[in-house]
Amino acid sequence: MAEGIKPAVRLSGIAKSYGKVRALENLSFDVAAGRFFVLFGPSSVGKTTTLRTIAGLVRPDSGRLEIDGRDFTNEPIAGRGVSMVFQSFALYPHLTVFENLAYPLREEKVASAEITRRVNETAAMLKLSQRLDRKPNTLSGGEQQRVALGRSLVRQPKILLLDEPLTNLDAKLRHDMRAELKRLHRQFGMTIVYATPDELEALSMGEEIAVMRDGMVVQRGTPEELYERPVNTYVAGKIGSPHMNMLQAKVGKDARTFETPLGKMSPKVPRKTAAAGEAAIIGIRPSDIRLAAKGEKAIASKIHLLEPLGDITIVSVEAGKEVLRMVLPEARATAIKVGDPANIYFDPNDIHIFRAASGQVMT
Amino acid sequence: MATSTTIWEKLGFRKASGVTEAGWGQTLLAGLVSLIYFLPVLLIIITSFKVQNEAMSVPPKFFPTSFFGLIPDVYVFSPTLENFTSVFSRAFVTGGAVESTGFDRFFFNSMFIAGSSVLLALVIGTLAAYGFSRYPLKGNDTYLFIILTTRMLPAIVVIIPIILMFRIAGLSGSYPGIILLYTAFNLPFTIWMMKSFFDELSLDVEDAARIDGSSELRVFFKICLPQVVAGLAATFVFGLILTWNEFLFALLLTGIDTRTVPVAMNQAVAGGGIGVLWGLLAAIETLFLIPVFLVTFFLQNHLLRGVTFGTVKR
Repeated sequence: MAEGIKPAVRLSGIAKSYGKVRALENLSFDVAAGRFFVLFGPSSVGKTTTLRTIAGLVRPDSGRLEIDGRDFTNEPIAGRGVSMVFQSFALYPHLTVFENLAYPLREEKVASAEITRRVNETAAMLKLSQRLDRKPNTLSGGEQQRVALGRSLVRQPKILLLDEPLTNLDAKLRHDMRAELKRLHRQFGMTIVYATPDELEALSMGEEIAVMRDGMVVQRGTPEELYERPVNTYVAGKIGSPHMNMLQAKVGKDARTFETPLGKMSPKVPRKTAAAGEAAIIGIRPSDIRLAAKGEKAIASKIHLLEPLGDITIVSVEAGKEVLRMVLPEARATAIKVGDPANIYFDPNDIHIFRAASGQVMT
Repeated sequence: MATSTTIWEKLGFRKASGVTEAGWGQTLLAGLVSLIYFLPVLLIIITSFKVQNEAMSVPPKFFPTSFFGLIPDVYVFSPTLENFTSVFSRAFVTGGAVESTGFDRFFFNSMFIAGSSVLLALVIGTLAAYGFSRYPLKGNDTYLFIILTTRMLPAIVVIIPIILMFRIAGLSGSYPGIILLYTAFNLPFTIWMMKSFFDELSLDVEDAARIDGSSELRVFFKICLPQVVAGLAATFVFGLILTWNEFLFALLLTGIDTRTVPVAMNQAVAGGGIGVLWGLLAAIETLFLIPVFLVTFFLQNHLLRGVTFGTVKR
């Protein structure tokens, strides 16, 4: 982040426990104003607690929360300029769609004519104009989702928190809503903090992603950075589909070569911290593996499993005792049958090397 | 929408969607069984229209008319409204002057005492239930169990200390006394019922309201309470039925002016020397049924409707 620009949200050293359960532990990150920021991680790593802390629903045990440069750690919810969409949508079941959308404005004592105008405007934008008289339980899942979104947008928040908003939608709707959310972000330019366990959502929507584990941020960066340079096996395993192939390996005597079940590999750039004889994990992206061309140093293998996905096919091959996944374009994969021999190749400079003990990347 | 709403549906006789109606045979069988259970009530209502010597006749006279000679005369009685008028005023001695029986007062007492104590219990109990549901005390829910233990003893066991307490406190025979007692009597049930309704609500919905700028008070009144209207109605009706029919406490703790119908009924039917006045008794009972019947009937819409369900994905 450039110097001088105030972050919209800054968390420093936030910790929160529920009884004996640690939800957040020394959590620190900041979000630049106007950024689409994704908190990514499997369930119960503290994504929801993080969002609830920013919203003010949760008081952290320690640490500091700043919004627009102002300390809000122990301030009440009001005045944060934050709105939130819940995973459960959390619509007011006893109120019509109109009243659901109007609720935040009524609580702000906005004049009645203005409420009508803004609710209608929001409803039109989200294609809910025909549903204003309905109760939430008569709406489809996608419509409920749009009402929840509309209720958050209607008071024009500076910061919008989205807690797994697409998890309860079916696949087609999810796709549409991803595009819709990106459009809304472009249109309004508010800061968005978006929690999701879905790697596809994180990569396709996030301008910046923070990968969370056990109540902490493990790595943050752009989708490309996370994909190209994962700092540990956790991030490497979570980002990228199909998942990275991981092989047990050992650092050779010269501390430059790596002895793997697929033979010795020596990347051009040495890993300076590698110690001879140290156990390592070699990661190879399925997309980095291909069928060998003539004259290349190929690895002999056998086709184990084919998973056609339309334009690409995920191919699992057996090389020695290891099973590797690779991605082939459909045209290349049609000729292949399970049990066929295959010569595969990958560039040793493309491999990721981690310490076996800590899982951290070897530099 | 193509489906029209019939008057019956408006009154709350609504079927769950997606279920198939039972066949005629099953419906008839259910009707027959219901009739057996409903027979006592039916007999009381019929009896309230009979004169004393027809009330206990054998074989029982079931029909107010012979349907143009279709039904033998032994089963037919001649309907009269005399019992209903004598509920409120009648001559106590044969040939004596017609006097007021005070039953208009007793009916008012029953409605006033039951209505206000159930409402009071509902107000206090709902607030307590919300508290117990959202801000539980440390430890487990034992305190809720303890609240319920106050209802585990039969009334007859606690009545003597209560009589003594009421006498010392000067509450015997007064409206506040019996209303307070019934309120306490209804509270445990109200708290348990309402807590279970509050427990069902989604906490996310309340948090959403907090983020939307609502204070705790407004979260309760604008968001939570409207979602448990069905629970409030159900609790009110059950509490009302229990309180309306209560006899023992009313017998011992109400005075002449505050007497409720169950107590007055018991004293009224001992018909000086000619045995129990069955017709009169049946008439009082029939009238006594009407208020609770009406309240239940008009609240059933709320009793049956689960307003809050299916709106939140879990």
